[in-house]
Amino acid sequence: MVLLAIMALGVVLAVVRYAGGIRSVANINNAYPWGWWVGFGIMTMIALGGVGFTITLLVEILGRHRYHALLRPAVLMALLCYASAIVMLMVELGRPWKVWMILVSWAPSAALYEVGWCAFLYLNVLVLEFVQVPLEELGWGRVLKVLRVIYIPIMLLGVTLSHLHQSSLGTLLTLIPHKINVLWWSEQLPLIFLFSAMMAGPALAILEYLAAARWLGFTPNIDMLGGLARIEAWLVGLLLVFRLGDLVIRGAVDAALSWTWFAVSFWVEIGFGLLLPLVLLMMPEVQASRGGLVTACSLVVAGVLLHRLNVAVFGLRVRHWETYVPSFGEIGITLGIAAGAVLVFGVLARMLPIHEELPPTVASQPRATAPAGAWHGARSVS
Amino acid sequence: MTTPSVKPKAMIQDNTRCIGCRACMIACKSWNNRPADHTEFFAGAGYQNPVDLDANNYTLITFNEIVTGAQPDWVFGRQLCMHCEHPACASACPTTALTKTALGPVVFNESRCIGCRACMQACPFLIPKYDYENLNPKIHKCTFCADRIEAGLKPACATVCPTAAISFGDRDDMVAEAKRRIATAPGTYIPEIYGLDDVGGTSVLHLSSVPFEQLGYITGLPKTPMPDLTHRWLRVTPHFFALLYAVFGALTWIMHRRANRSDSKGHTA
Repeated sequence: MVLLAIMALGVVLAVVRYAGGIRSVANINNAYPWGWWVGFGIMTMIALGGVGFTITLLVEILGRHRYHALLRPAVLMALLCYASAIVMLMVELGRPWKVWMILVSWAPSAALYEVGWCAFLYLNVLVLEFVQVPLEELGWGRVLKVLRVIYIPIMLLGVTLSHLHQSSLGTLLTLIPHKINVLWWSEQLPLIFLFSAMMAGPALAILEYLAAARWLGFTPNIDMLGGLARIEAWLVGLLLVFRLGDLVIRGAVDAALSWTWFAVSFWVEIGFGLLLPLVLLMMPEVQASRGGLVTACSLVVAGVLLHRLNVAVFGLRVRHWETYVPSFGEIGITLGIAAGAVLVFGVLARMLPIHEELPPTVASQPRATAPAGAWHGARSVS
Repeated sequence: MTTPSVKPKAMIQDNTRCIGCRACMIACKSWNNRPADHTEFFAGAGYQNPVDLDANNYTLITFNEIVTGAQPDWVFGRQLCMHCEHPACASACPTTALTKTALGPVVFNESRCIGCRACMQACPFLIPKYDYENLNPKIHKCTFCADRIEAGLKPACATVCPTAAISFGDRDDMVAEAKRRIATAPGTYIPEIYGLDDVGGTSVLHLSSVPFEQLGYITGLPKTPMPDLTHRWLRVTPHFFALLYAVFGALTWIMHRRANRSDSKGHTA
């Protein structure tokens, strides 16, 4: 009900935006043309969508079949995150009806061109991957056969495209060293964006799994989560070292040690988004407890969110007299979209065999065709 | 009327000659069909009006109160698109709605614009503006009167300046002229041409009697083109794509083979 209410609010605000123009709901202005919509609605959503390629990489490419229970939820989450970002884009773009222009342009020097193409292709990949679940339920054998044949190359394409556009989102921001505070602007932003999206993946997967266990009522395999938490600790630790090393190499330590809001936001991000979860994830007690995992993983996800906002919103300063504070309308629309995504996930998780811990639904029968990977072998492995 | 030539053009904005009459602003509005604004004095920086460039104002004379000698005085500066040799805005545009033409202007093609505002974000001089209140919004910025230049005319602003603070011609000639002015009157000018090599050079060259930051100009920009920052990543993208796809493919194959060979539990490839 709460989700529906937030969604309704988002819809109302979106109607106002289309009827009255961007100005009628948003505070973005000539000095700050992107703001919250891009920082949260697109950059953070895409980062969280990184859960799809991270878990796919882990299970399908690196062959860690132990984690296959996380694969379908991860792909569905990614699909919904990317869909949310597209919906956001349709609100945020000045001329959303022209968005197809990207696909008929040739602009290889533009990071946004690459992001646009990759995200578009990856969304298709996610659909092709996920659509097999409802098709299995419907028993569309022939279509499924084709989808299974192309599954491996398509899956590889998805993981590769993700590496490209997750990093390109960072490339986009390397162009504005004069605007982004020295604490966040780095020539290595593409790598930082890629690594942080990878880091967000397992954290979000763990959170979703525990949430699903609670609301759908199955016993979570904490052992498996503990294993993933150890991997996650490595990812968090590596990013922490990379971020601090980058700060030192760029000579921005002074800025980090000065008493400014930028420095405070920076250390909150490093301390609560990387350092604290790293310590937590390394503790065996945390690896074995639901509460501990939820705390640590929530911190990681919040840290990624704060990083995207720091780079794209808070850390931006143009000229001193020009300011930007996100409006109620901007935040309301993003929350509406996010609520919609969570709602759709909840409904689909009840309707379709996403979580293999749940007993199979009546419609789902043993697979007729040979499975191509863990994606299809999901139910057959205990 | 001069005959059109393909040599890139440039404009000198000699702020030492500017008297703040703002005829350039009016000529600009007139040629570009921008509506008049209802403005008021002291809304921003003193007598300067309007406060900043916006969708209706493609150029702006800034009124800077600076103590020169014993008294505070107005020293004028001017804001307009610099028409970079290597424009960050055009490099950031995912639909090539912004392009640099052979004659120098960086022009906006409305029909290609999706409204992502990446150009506004990218511009080191904070020039492109947006009409957020419009239901069919556009990017607004100085056009260098590309249509006039194409026809062999001067930009509108350059035709009306009563003190010849605005000069227009081939870029090579304009650079030589700017250098000549500084060399012949070193007391009048600071020895710097704003735009000569900033961000790789621009088609608008500013001269001043006081340091440019005192006129509100954005200083400290790199001398290398801004698009270099993204090119170093983006040019490797195709190779990166092929490499990653191959590596992931190989890994998948190896892992599946290993799984097939070693286990009887039902992992399948």
